[in-house]
Amino acid sequence: MSTRSLETEGLTKSFGGVHAVNGASVAFQDGKINALIGPNGSGKTTFFNCVTGMIRADSGRVSYRGDDVTGAAPHRIAAAGIGRSFQLCRVFPRMTVLDNMLVGVRPQGLLHRLRGGHNAGDIARARQLLGRVGIDHLERSEARDISYGQQKLLELAGVLMTDPETIMLDEPAGGVNPALIGRLGTLVRELNAEGRTFIIVEHNMEMVMSLSHHVVVFDRGAPIAEGDPATVQNDPRVLEAYLGV
Amino acid sequence: MRSASKAPDGTTGTSGTTFDRVLLGGKVLLLLAGLALVLAFPGLAPDAFILSVGVTIASYAALAVGWNFVGGFTGYISLGHAAYSGLGGYATALLIIDGGLNPWLALGVGALGVAVVAVPIGVASLRVRGASFVIVSIAMVLILLLVSQSWADVTGGSSGLRVPRPFSDDVLRPEQHERFFYLHVALVAVALLVWWAIDRSRFGIGLKAIREDEDKAQSLGVPTFKYKLVVFVISAFFTALAGGMYALWFGYLDPIFQFSILIGSYMVLMSLLGGIRSLFGPVVGAVIVGYSLEYFKNQYGDSQFHLVALGLMLGLVVLFMPDGVLPAIGQLVNRFRPTATSIREESAADLLARTTKTEPRQAEEVSR
Repeated sequence: MSTRSLETEGLTKSFGGVHAVNGASVAFQDGKINALIGPNGSGKTTFFNCVTGMIRADSGRVSYRGDDVTGAAPHRIAAAGIGRSFQLCRVFPRMTVLDNMLVGVRPQGLLHRLRGGHNAGDIARARQLLGRVGIDHLERSEARDISYGQQKLLELAGVLMTDPETIMLDEPAGGVNPALIGRLGTLVRELNAEGRTFIIVEHNMEMVMSLSHHVVVFDRGAPIAEGDPATVQNDPRVLEAYLGV
Repeated sequence: MRSASKAPDGTTGTSGTTFDRVLLGGKVLLLLAGLALVLAFPGLAPDAFILSVGVTIASYAALAVGWNFVGGFTGYISLGHAAYSGLGGYATALLIIDGGLNPWLALGVGALGVAVVAVPIGVASLRVRGASFVIVSIAMVLILLLVSQSWADVTGGSSGLRVPRPFSDDVLRPEQHERFFYLHVALVAVALLVWWAIDRSRFGIGLKAIREDEDKAQSLGVPTFKYKLVVFVISAFFTALAGGMYALWFGYLDPIFQFSILIGSYMVLMSLLGGIRSLFGPVVGAVIVGYSLEYFKNQYGDSQFHLVALGLMLGLVVLFMPDGVLPAIGQLVNRFRPTATSIREESAADLLARTTKTEPRQAEEVSR
């Protein structure tokens, strides 16, 4: 069996009386494109935020590659090798595209941190990644001045700058045009072929079904079904959850 | 022609156009002119009063630059930075009076002490963001005001504390002003140098990311709390140095003025007015606000009207230059940039370069 990727055990998070995540035990497959789907309000984003340390779970365990990372701060999760994007896309609006990229440089120790941010090595890597997503011509623009689609690409490139083994994307196809969805899909496939694991929250079923190897379906804060796309698609529990019967 | 605005591939420089070079030259000239003016000021000042106004403005500048380490980099607005200038002043004075230290040594040791004190304050207050942080910072300065007023044995209480002068008595008043003017300017210069060094470092990029979106920065691996704490302590250190320097110059400390929210607000207003994202923003703000304050005080005498006038002026700036004076000027200049575009505009040559996979440099030659 391959090495273990991200796993949760009985993860629970409530807001007041709402059990956003309710005893979720999920195991994602290493080296694969995993999808996390479910109706609105089924707790996908809260689950994401608990896993990446943005919010603290009430109970349960999160482990990554066998290490317990429950309750670890977001920068520790990032250091462990998990990069993430945000729902509705978050970039640093008043920083240039290039500086947005340089935030992801991970310095080791004091001297590294005091080194000039605009050194040739960091810039070359940033430009290479910007070129890869196709926005290298914008490096001097402020991030707030580029289009929403370009910001999405910048966010992905920024995550890649941290060189994560696992990339969690929260609705990558939300609010972007079909051409760009295609481009994102190609990028995800290429990056996956290089050995990066993906965990994607997405509502665009076409994208999910064509892209992913493994699908986990959430409803009311816990997984109700999982398997390959074809199996999940025909699962009566999934249909029920989506149609609300 | 479009492609001329792009940095040619293969070079690492980010500024390549003639416009950028002219701009840089203009900035350097302006900087040198400003520096010359500052250094010549004591010679140009017609009397001791104007000279003392200059020292006051230099002191404001030192405070504002100290404030801007935390305000400018992280976007955390501290209204209570008078806590650190006040503590710096009292620490310097008490180290001289009770500790028998050399005044300049007392200044340095005092500021280091304040930096140490700032660590637990930072640990406690940097956990909250936005308005909550502002309130916590105000609470700090109010606590210190009460303590320094009540603890009269040490601080002299409401009757104040006389600070021994570092220069002997045969140095006359104007001469004192002149020396302290240069000392304050030197302090501002050192603080600006450190700010500049942080600004261009990886540490600085992480800090600016915190200012823009703290959660996002942390998700990209920036240890946000540690970064904030370090820059907060640096800020407290330089603010304390400014406070101590002021104490040595003014020679008298009164809790009401040392630990006043007004002083903290001045630091914020000066920095915002000049532009907190710019290196020289707080200095420009200090010159404008400091000069206006003295001018309005002179015009309206003992009344509080100078505060009203200052408020009006700041209202106008916020309305018309919300980012501050320097960024507003920067935007104005940028309008003249030949090709300021964020959309890829493909010339035939670019297209040719992409489709035939020729070197971009060749394509540029084609377009010329």
